[in-house]
Order: sequence, then structure tokens, then C-alpha cells
Amino acid sequence: MRMLRTIMALCLLVVSGWASASNYTLWINGRTGGGTVGDYNSFTYWGPAGTAAGVNKKAVNWDGRSSIASQSPKIRDALDCFCTGANWCYIATHSAGDLILGYTLANYGGSARLKKNATANASGVCGNTDGSSQTGWNIKWVRSASGAGGGSELSDAGSWAVSEPLVQDLKTSTARAMYNHNTTHNIWFYMYAGAKGTLYSGILPGQDDEAVAYHSSGGVSGSAGGSYCNPSDWLCNDLTLGTAANEGGSAKWSYHSVSFRDDGEAYNHYANGNWGGIVSVVRSAMVNSAL
Amino acid sequence: MRSDKRPPGGAGKRPASPRSGLQGWLRRWGAPLGTAAVLALALIGWRLARDEPPALSAAAAPAPGAPGRPFFGKVDGGGLPAPDDRARRRRELVDHLALVDHTYCSYRAGSQYPAGSRPMAENADQNAPNAPVLEMNPMRLDGGGTDTQVQLQTSQSRVYMAAGEAVAFSLRAVDAGGRVLPLVVTRALARGISYGAARPAPQVTLPFADDGNGADPVPNDGAFAGVLAPAQSGLAGFNGTIRTEVRYAVGGKSGVVLFDVIYTPELPAVWSGPVRETVENGSLAFVLKLDVRMPGRYVISGRVDDAQGKPFALLTFNDILGPGPNDIRLTVFGKLMRDQDAALPLTLRDVDGYLLKENADPDRALLPRLEGKVFTGRAHPLSGFSDAEWQSEERSRYLTEFAKDVALARQELSAFDPAQPLPPGECAQKAQIPAPEIGKGGAPSVK
Repeated sequence: MRMLRTIMALCLLVVSGWASASNYTLWINGRTGGGTVGDYNSFTYWGPAGTAAGVNKKAVNWDGRSSIASQSPKIRDALDCFCTGANWCYIATHSAGDLILGYTLANYGGSARLKKNATANASGVCGNTDGSSQTGWNIKWVRSASGAGGGSELSDAGSWAVSEPLVQDLKTSTARAMYNHNTTHNIWFYMYAGAKGTLYSGILPGQDDEAVAYHSSGGVSGSAGGSYCNPSDWLCNDLTLGTAANEGGSAKWSYHSVSFRDDGEAYNHYANGNWGGIVSVVRSAMVNSAL
Repeated sequence: MRSDKRPPGGAGKRPASPRSGLQGWLRRWGAPLGTAAVLALALIGWRLARDEPPALSAAAAPAPGAPGRPFFGKVDGGGLPAPDDRARRRRELVDHLALVDHTYCSYRAGSQYPAGSRPMAENADQNAPNAPVLEMNPMRLDGGGTDTQVQLQTSQSRVYMAAGEAVAFSLRAVDAGGRVLPLVVTRALARGISYGAARPAPQVTLPFADDGNGADPVPNDGAFAGVLAPAQSGLAGFNGTIRTEVRYAVGGKSGVVLFDVIYTPELPAVWSGPVRETVENGSLAFVLKLDVRMPGRYVISGRVDDAQGKPFALLTFNDILGPGPNDIRLTVFGKLMRDQDAALPLTLRDVDGYLLKENADPDRALLPRLEGKVFTGRAHPLSGFSDAEWQSEERSRYLTEFAKDVALARQELSAFDPAQPLPPGECAQKAQIPAPEIGKGGAPSVK
């Protein structure tokens, strides 16, 4: 009888552990921001909050204009909230959201994190569970819509307001030197690269979506940008799908894989307050795979 | 309809409450379920111990679907889905299985080595940290727009700078055919970027020349170079981004190019003694002595070449250090050496790092750079190192979760289409892919 009680207690413990475990889908915005910082249900940056965007979706808002380093604590708060203990996260990023997440993982992805209860206060900080900690966060994978981890030549050329500290972080040489982009702690970044850009074709090399060029949205490795295109462009090296080296031999960052290349030049950079542009492609992928 | 009739069984017998119902249910089914759960846990543990994702049999009791959605979606009309719907649903299940299988297998392969000891093939762009940043862009015209007929080649020797360091900039104009075009630097001004109410930082004029002196290696080749040494200028006390704006003329048109560096006048720690090596826990550790003036989180990296001078590994230290003398261990993981049949002795070179200021901007203060060869160890026998995979709570946590995802996905697909065999897993295939070398194809995602 004692044996039976022990077994049952063990089972109930396991079952209750499973029951309290949840998956969350985090959406990390890019430049300009717009959502209420600390309010994980504020989807203003993205579009209508009622739109499906993955299981238990949460908006990880940061101001989108201050420096990456100064806003990283907002990202760490969210990761602590929803991606520790028994909870796991899928993550979607847009534009500079890729840069701030990459920076956060590279610098803090192996640090001790207090386990949190996924219930946030007004500042976006969650309560502790039992006071214990774990190494790093629980992240299954990341999908990056037009990731700006490699910076943008619009920053290099002074096309964006120099009054924003984020703009200086987005300079290609700075963004690429800011952290080791290969250090994702074995977590995949699936890259989605848009190509419906014409306005800045003289500044952004190769294919672009009007804000970020393929060298960044495709996760191309190196200390500087470069010109990468769709296969239909014979005068420019192809950005390859997956993890393979690009035409011309350049590599991608480790644990970065191109999932979508905009061969039809149909998607621009902008969510436009309605889950639009390249964000629409990622949203669809999140609905199908962030379960 | 409500009934006032007492239930059969006498006045003293009350209807079963939900709680007593649960107790009865537990009495009846607790033991078999408990035994089954323990057996299932034991099976999962055994499969994990064998490094295989647990494959739940199609005959097992239906498991709950992935959180947030039903195991099977509702079927309209009460019948089987139409053939197209069925094919689409099967494709979704196959894709999902492929995703979670890839997630599991790649994590398992990648986490054989700890984050602080990775193959250099995974870090191709970290191999030469002191190489200049080379860029080429269309001439950006002063006042806006570009001239695509003129390409401007630029280089800068550093982006992040330690206290006392200097940085060299250069620029050269070429046409579409690569021919050098005459260029004149009209003005070069370096200034610290400040925001809001901050006091404007000083400005410094930089001379650029094509005379074969200083940072310009070849005279009169059309490439102009200048050097910024903040510590020897009015920017000595500035902490943050210094932007150097170079204005130039080519073919009668005025252009502008921006160079940014992040400078810190602080010296957070100093190297304080000879490097040594030690074999510990089946791995090889290079031990560097660091005298810490500013305590906090330090991120320090070193590169390792093998005996033939081939880039072998990137080693990283990332931890919190207290003030005073500290030992920094940059560790070459034993299994990494065994797997790649490392040619020993190994040489540690190009060590750099910074104090990471966790909530500040600028976010770092750089350590003095150790450029070039730092230390060459002894030719230890490879057999003296462990070939065991890295183990940790973090790794176990990830593998358990990812294995659970694979098991559920396999079960879903198998239940949906029992007649079809499950697709082969990625883990077995991954083991047969040879690792590419740096410069021969892309950086491998997973080894």
C-alpha cells in the first residue's frame, strides 16, 4: 500500500508538472516600437491583437529607438517570464528585434536565470516560482522577419534619424561587431528575407525590402555587408536557401537558416499595423509551427 | 428534472461528491495508471540514455496533442476529411515532425561541446578579430543620393576600441571596371555622439593622406588613410560612439562616408601574469591571469590553432568576476579534440574581451587586446583527453523537451496514417555528414 501511494504521488507530481508547463510565442518588435513596454498583450506594433500568431502569443515590447544594450533588459525580462522553469518559448522577431535577441542570447544565453511564473507586473517583470534558477532560457527556435542582425546601410548612409541611439547600433560594421552572431546556444534562427524594395536600391546592396538587405535578412556571416540577390538576377550572387554557402562562397552565421527568400519580390519590410509585409509570412509560419 | 428522492442505500449514505468520485477513480485506476506512467517514464529515460527520441507506439493510449491545440482537429460533417484536406493535413504533420526532429537532432549534435569551446568552423567570422573591416558601396553624395558609377572602398582597423588604442581608416574610389579614380579628401572630422541634454562632445580634425606614411602603406596609389587616437586628442575622456565623417570629392562631385568606432577610456582589468595550460576533467585549459579593477560579467574569447597552424577552435569565457586577481580558463573540450583528431600542440592566439555592463550604454569596457600568438602548449597525447559528450542540466532539459516533441509528432502522424511508415529521423543521417573546413563552403550549422 505504501508502495502504491508512493507511485501515485510520483505520478501526480509528474502530471501536475506537465499540466503547469506551457508553450508561449514571443513577438519581439523592431525599430520604432509602438506597443506598450511591459504589457505583453499590447500588439500595436504588429496588428490586431486578435489575429492568430502562435500559441499563447505575447508581445515583447521595447522602445525601438534606444540602444540595443539599454533595451536588452526588456527582452531578458520577457525571456525570464515565459521561457524558464517548465515553460518553453517560440520566438518571432522583426528587423532590429533580431539584433536585440541575438545580442541577448550571445551575452546572456548561458547565464543563471531565476525561474519565473509567467505572471507579469506592469513593468513586465514576473514573480519567482520557487527561488531556484537555471542556466539560460527555454527556447525551441526563432523565426526572424527581415532580421537586422547584420545592420542596414540606411544607417551607414545617414538615411535614418541620427537622434536615435538605435540607428548607430544598426550601422552594418557596428551591428556585426556587437556580438558573436554564431553564439545562439544551439538555437535555430530561421530567416525570412523580403525583396519588395525599390526606394533605397542605390543604398541597400542587392535585394532588399526597403529597410534591410539580403546580407542581413539572410544571416550572411562577416564583418561587413554585401550584395545578395534572388536567382533570377544574374549580376549578383544568390542568397541560398537553408544553411548552404551563398553563391560566391560566403557563409551564413551558424544556426541561421534561410527559410524564405522573396523570389517574387512581393513582401516589403513593413508590418503596417496589420501583420503585413514580410511579417505576414512569418506570422503564417508561427501559426503552423508554434504549437 | 430535480428529484427529492433519496438515493437507494439508506439514510446514512450520501451521494458521492466529486472528491469521493476522484478517490474512487484513483482507487480503481490509480495503480494501473501509475504503473503505466512509471513504465513510460522509464522508457523515456532509457531512450534518452541511448540518445534516441522515444518513439511512442501507435497502439499506446492517445496522448494529448501539443499544447494549445487539439490532438485531432474537428472534422466538419462528421466524416473523414476530403482527400485534398487529408493530403494537406498529412503534409502538415510530416512537416511538423521534420521540424521537431531537426530541432532535436541538431541540438543533440551541437551540444556535444559546451558553449565555451566550439569548433572554429562554426565561427568563421570570429577567426581573425583584428582584421580590418572592408566595405565597398556606391559613392554617397553629399546632400543625398548615390552615384553608382563610383564605388567607394573603405576599411577601418577596429570597431570596438580599448583604452589607449588607435584606429586607422582608409578610402579609395574606383569605377565599374575597378580602375582607381582620383579622390580628394576635403574634410575629416571625428566627434563623439551624444544625445538629449548631454554636453556636446569635442570634435577632432583628422588628417588623411596618401603619402606612404603611418596607416597608408603605399604612396600615391589613390588610397587615403587617417588615424584616430582618442587618448591623444580632445576625445580622451569620451565614452561611447565616435563618428568620423569624411567628406571627399571624385570627378567634381562631393561625397561623404561615415566611420563609427565605440571607444572606452576605462581599463576594467589588466593581464597580470604568464599563461599556463593544464589538463583537467579530460579537457585542456589555458589559464590566464587577470587582475580585475571593475568587477562584473566578463566575456573573453581566444582562438586556437592546431600544430599545423590551422584554425581549430573558438574558446569563450563568460562569467562574473570579483575584484582582484582571477584565473580565466579558456578550455578546449576533450571530445572536440578527439573528434577532430587535433594535431597537438595547440596555440592560443588573439585573445580579446570586455567587461559587459549589464544595463548601460555603452555596454562594455574592453580589456587590453592580446594580439597574435599568446601561448603554445605541450604535445599531449590525444588519448589523454576525454571523448565524453558535454553533460549539464541545461542539455538534459533541452533534450528531454525536444525528445518529447518528437515523440508526440511521431505519434500524431502514425495515428493519422497508420498504414504509412514514418519518415526516417535526422539523427542517424547527421552522423554521416563530414564537417566542412573554414573557407570551403558555409559554416556548418551542426556538426
